[in-house]
Amino acid sequence: MESKPSVSPSSFVDQQVFPGDVVLDLSKMTNQTIKLGGGLHQDGDFISVIKAGKLRFSKPNKYWVESSHKRYVPSVGDNVLGIVVDARADNFFVDIKGPMLAVLPVLAFEGGTRRNIPKFEMGTLLYLRVVKANPDMNPELSCMDATGKAGEYGPLKDGFMFESSTGLSRMLLSSPTCPVLETLGKKLAFEIAVGLNGRVWVNATSPSIVIFVANTIMLTESLSPVQQKIKVENMLQRLQ
Amino acid sequence: MDVEREGGRGANQLRPMDCTRSVLSRAHGSASCSNGETRVLAAVYGPKAGTKKNENPEKACIEVIWKPKTGQIGKQEKEFEMILKRTLQNICLLTAHPNTTTSIIVQVAHDDGSLLPCAIHAACAALVDAGIPLKYFAVAICCSFSESGHILLDPNKLEEQKMKALVYLAFPSSVRSVLTEGSENGEESAENGIITSLTHGVMPVDSYFQCLEQGRAAVTPLTNILKKKLQSPSPINQSAAA
Repeated sequence: MESKPSVSPSSFVDQQVFPGDVVLDLSKMTNQTIKLGGGLHQDGDFISVIKAGKLRFSKPNKYWVESSHKRYVPSVGDNVLGIVVDARADNFFVDIKGPMLAVLPVLAFEGGTRRNIPKFEMGTLLYLRVVKANPDMNPELSCMDATGKAGEYGPLKDGFMFESSTGLSRMLLSSPTCPVLETLGKKLAFEIAVGLNGRVWVNATSPSIVIFVANTIMLTESLSPVQQKIKVENMLQRLQ
Repeated sequence: MDVEREGGRGANQLRPMDCTRSVLSRAHGSASCSNGETRVLAAVYGPKAGTKKNENPEKACIEVIWKPKTGQIGKQEKEFEMILKRTLQNICLLTAHPNTTTSIIVQVAHDDGSLLPCAIHAACAALVDAGIPLKYFAVAICCSFSESGHILLDPNKLEEQKMKALVYLAFPSSVRSVLTEGSENGEESAENGIITSLTHGVMPVDSYFQCLEQGRAAVTPLTNILKKKLQSPSPINQSAAA
């Protein structure tokens, strides 16, 4: 309890926090707007942690808990890989590894009308964007970006999809480019789609490249950037 | 008040505790917890869509399945399931994922006394590993009351059989807080709480309250041990894109 009154939040930022820890006292921070991300919950005047992980702060006012899990909590604007589970008259039901099945309206495609509804079979892999994500409703998805263009969204053909944790997906999508993808990209040609819900899709001309890229990505999950580069270079040498 | 215990343990001394997370690759969250020789493995699946028939759809539903080491599932297992379900319902933030079910499967690997506290720790650790929103941890302890009036903490199987009464207690974990002036009140309200109390046998009321006090004294050290063991296994790199 030796935290200073006005800068007390900094005592927990970038540290491991556990459920129950009180990290912010709103009564001491007047005239400020704070944005809370995942893992934090408001309890009256206190902000407490509900998931174990590292507390992060981004200027000017965003706090969130960063953690890596096998399940995904849907949030608006995320790009995810979904698998079609059911098809109805108005929507497709898509599994995105979240608490509920997500809904993809049949008209949420570029130039989509009632006449040209796409026919997705059960098990089709789609690259989608999360449009609505309220905690007590099924999340809603779309195959268009914010401006209404198809972009890269839609069904993914061929290739191989594997599942991992949300932390690995965030690492692969981080900027500057993650060392694994950079090192792999210098020697091999492949296509990759990363969903923030812990699914990754890889495609290449030959199956051996696909398997190699998938295995390499899975092995480098818990390594630091320098270790990742070394590991990938070692594996590339063994391949040749 | 010196009591002779196996292995030279003091009356207030707990057996070494160990906890590992992410032991199962297919479960959404898993943990293995050991308290001396007692070992329990817990796996969490969920949250999954839909609740059971008579459950409130505005809250998340928790389902516990207890698997003993040997033998068929009987009344004792059902009792453990009910106790664990009520304890976990208290610590989970049920309004975070309404209309979902989270399944927790508890497998007893070895029972050497103090089984329920070990199972509570394993279930909590598995929930943390799965990322289920929790209000706080549950920290549990077993106190036993002997014929001669001594209170022994964390008895093993042989000691349990000789005891007159057993008390299983589960408390909310101690939390770190940035509150400075309100720290006294903040700690009191959390530490004065009790989640679960289960008693077997006959004991005087004063001894029960003494057990409560001794159990509460063990909350902070137990919380620290659990938190240390549950540190995130892999370094999560800084992700500017997230």
